Amino acid sequence: MFYAKFFAKRFVAIVITLAAVIAISYIMMYCSPGGFMNTTQLASSLAPLAAQDPAAYQKLMEQFQLRYGLNLPLWHQVLLYEWHTFTLNFGNSMQNPTLSIMSQLKTALPISVILAFSSVVLSVVVGIPMGIIAAIKRNTWVDYLVTTLSMFGQAIPSFVLAVIFVLLFGVEWQNVLPVTGWGTVPEAVLPVVSLAAGNIGVVARYMRGSLIETMRQDFIRTAKAKGVKYWPLVLKHGVKNSLTALITVIGPQFAFSVVGAVWVENIFAIPGLGKVISTAFTNFDFPLAITAVFILGATIMLTNLAVDVIYAVMDPRVKLQ
Amino acid sequence: MAIAVSQSQQSVRRARKNSPMYRAWQRYRRNGFAVAGLGWVILFFIIGIIGPWIAPYSYTYADFLHMHSGPSWQHLFGTDTVGYDVFSQILYSVRYALEIALGATCVSFLIGIVLGLWAGLSGGIIDMIVMRAVDFMFALPSFFFALILVVLLGKGIFPMILAIGVPGWAGYARLIRSLVLSMRNGEMVEAARALGAPQWHIARRYMFPNVVGSMVVSLAFGIPYDLTAQAGLSIVGMGLNPPMPSFGNMLAQAGANILGFPWLLYFPAGVFAITLLSFLFVADGLQEAFNPKGGM
Amino acid sequence: MAEALLAIDDLRVQFDRGEDEVFAVNGVSFSIAEGEALGIVGESGSGKSVTLMSALGLIRENGKIMAGTAKFQGHDLLKMRPRQLEDIRGRDIGVIFQDPMTSLNPVMRIGDQIMESMLTHQYAGRREAFERTLQLLHEMGIPEPKARFRNYPHEFSGGMRQRIMIAIALACEPQLLIADEPTTALDVTVQMQILALLQEQRRKKQMSIAMITHDFGVATNFCDRIIVLYAGQIMEMADTRQFLLQPAHPYTMGLKNSIIEIGQRDRQLSPIPGMAPTLTEPPKSCSFASRCPFATERCRSELPALREISPNHHVACHRAEEVLAHAI
Repeated sequence: MFYAKFFAKRFVAIVITLAAVIAISYIMMYCSPGGFMNTTQLASSLAPLAAQDPAAYQKLMEQFQLRYGLNLPLWHQVLLYEWHTFTLNFGNSMQNPTLSIMSQLKTALPISVILAFSSVVLSVVVGIPMGIIAAIKRNTWVDYLVTTLSMFGQAIPSFVLAVIFVLLFGVEWQNVLPVTGWGTVPEAVLPVVSLAAGNIGVVARYMRGSLIETMRQDFIRTAKAKGVKYWPLVLKHGVKNSLTALITVIGPQFAFSVVGAVWVENIFAIPGLGKVISTAFTNFDFPLAITAVFILGATIMLTNLAVDVIYAVMDPRVKLQ
Repeated sequence: MAIAVSQSQQSVRRARKNSPMYRAWQRYRRNGFAVAGLGWVILFFIIGIIGPWIAPYSYTYADFLHMHSGPSWQHLFGTDTVGYDVFSQILYSVRYALEIALGATCVSFLIGIVLGLWAGLSGGIIDMIVMRAVDFMFALPSFFFALILVVLLGKGIFPMILAIGVPGWAGYARLIRSLVLSMRNGEMVEAARALGAPQWHIARRYMFPNVVGSMVVSLAFGIPYDLTAQAGLSIVGMGLNPPMPSFGNMLAQAGANILGFPWLLYFPAGVFAITLLSFLFVADGLQEAFNPKGGM
Repeated sequence: MAEALLAIDDLRVQFDRGEDEVFAVNGVSFSIAEGEALGIVGESGSGKSVTLMSALGLIRENGKIMAGTAKFQGHDLLKMRPRQLEDIRGRDIGVIFQDPMTSLNPVMRIGDQIMESMLTHQYAGRREAFERTLQLLHEMGIPEPKARFRNYPHEFSGGMRQRIMIAIALACEPQLLIADEPTTALDVTVQMQILALLQEQRRKKQMSIAMITHDFGVATNFCDRIIVLYAGQIMEMADTRQFLLQPAHPYTMGLKNSIIEIGQRDRQLSPIPGMAPTLTEPPKSCSFASRCPFATERCRSELPALREISPNHHVACHRAEEVLAHAI
């Protein structure tokens, strides 16, 4: 009962947020120089069709007019668009009218989610041990090395790293790892690593600070007074308490990785949602762009919800509300 | 008694030495990375100001005779596929990058200050609405808002400033609001007032350093973030319109045709990476200097 | 006097604060006999906790033991390797800390925290340890031990948490229990209950207790013998009765006069004007001289030695005899 209320509240919040995102995006694009249906842009991308079959082109344009209610008042258009989106009736892409938006997203979304998710997993798997080692070897060269590496990872954006990887593995060390494409594990290595580098830095630094702080707590002294040996002390008492705090940064990390995925997919030519978004925006294909942002937003918010639930499970003091 | 006498003798010098700003600087100076970072950041600013004058070529000048040539005395960092001088491109990029990043940070900060003050001072329903808006901005990465704004505003310098700056207000608003609230019912201020300290002394001694420290730190973290966002926009093709040079464009271009021309990547990527790193070192150093306990 | 369980001799501890050194313990010697309850009394910063915690290796990293021995059953704790010390902590010597709010691991079930010490020392197998934990919870007066076993610390009140702390400390039936301000953070009525509980356990198990407290009242009510520490040095050491009847150190007199009733929570121990000093160099004269109503030139220039003025009554004061006379 209690959990039902919690989830209901969160879902309502997510729906409201998404509705607002859609409304804001729609209104902005409506106000953009070419309008929501950027006719000049469409005309150029659909020029072959217009030349080939003017009647079909004309019919297509009318379909769009009708679907988005472009002759209705703005508020009506927005509501219409919200209705379409929330009923998952995304319609067709403008730039490529034979393709439904749904079919494009169906293949693209899993790619981006897997990319972002594996980068978070990698950053946790690598970052946590790095942070632990830095914390217990505090103020030694090991600590300085880890801290400096983390700073590098954190400061250098994924796209810079990605471009450097493309150069190194595309030119210098050819045939070691592929620098384009998606679908096999080797193809995933470079994108995931360039995306994870920043997260590793954040996780390692956070873990270090959090563990150092935890090891100063009174209950650590209690455990020592019980005669608990060093490693159980660090792992069972120290790390376990630090981990609960670390959970809270995983949500932002995932959101951060989603943005990074947009960049990295462009550089490694990965047909993910990020690539779809950037092509949609550069070609003024607004229905596709808004839908892609909607889907990514929903994914991010659902992930945050999951993180909150995990947090409550891991830390008995936290109550879901 | 003896202690008291010596204290009064040194009081003048101590007053300055004990000022929070001075102590923060002392702590900052001890951090080698932060000092080195500050050095590079200052250099970066100087280049941003004088770059266009010392650039050997205009950013629109294409040397058709030396297309994609490696570094030489004629072209320090080589030329790209159209014959643009990479060194000059970098110098101009610094200027535009700084204009956009500083401008965007100012825009975010101004909106944040106004909304944060408004929420913190009025409380009640306004506070609630502003904080809901903050939650909303945090629900999605602001990069997506920036993308949408670029569509609306276009790809010039001023539109970029707005596109990156406007979605970035939420963090500042939340910070300012919390500072306002902590000042209104801060224990330290209360205690100082109870001890009979004059108003201006309270402001100078307790409020000012805390407020300035927090703001400076958050701005220092904001600038590299905006630099990254700006280059990120270029990566997805929504950055400054070519031929205006920018780090993002150079990186995107280098990624697209690097086969055999590594200098197209190494120099811009190197400068860009070092700059971001320096900003982070500075921000980190400032955070430690102003808030020695919360060091992470 | 019974055989000494723990004998500390000339212990000196320093803390490195970066810009200077703090001399926290300056040559403290005393012993705890088997079955004895010893009170160690002092203001905060007097080195009363550091003295015992340093012997157990439980002080912060910046603390250094400069000299001395701490013989537990004849073996010097200060010379032991960390491994050996770990074996003694929790098994032979149990510790209770001041703040039950922060001294328990917040994300570990309290039952597991009690069992942990038994399992660590292989005092009992899993099954036995579980049974014994329930038994301990029952003895500590925690209702429904079986249900409470699975609860987390935040689900208990302060007094209950302190009972859990005691259960942890007593899990392996140690010969010595160090109670570091066990009642300071608690309400007055709860303080009494906790002290009664400790007293009962001590009788039952024949163990020694070192009660570290700033509350002279708690010490006189609970302990057989009392040590008064000031600036990391013993000022006076005697049986409780002696303390109440014939305090021979001006500082102790002040302490005694400050007792009104046991366990008044808000009253801090500052019977004498002034503050306890933090020594940044070794003491060369009487550390109490600046606050002492009886101080003379000699007190300000010469360090008073701890001397036995009557059997088992030790005082570190140049004018102890005069103080004694004055008090009577």
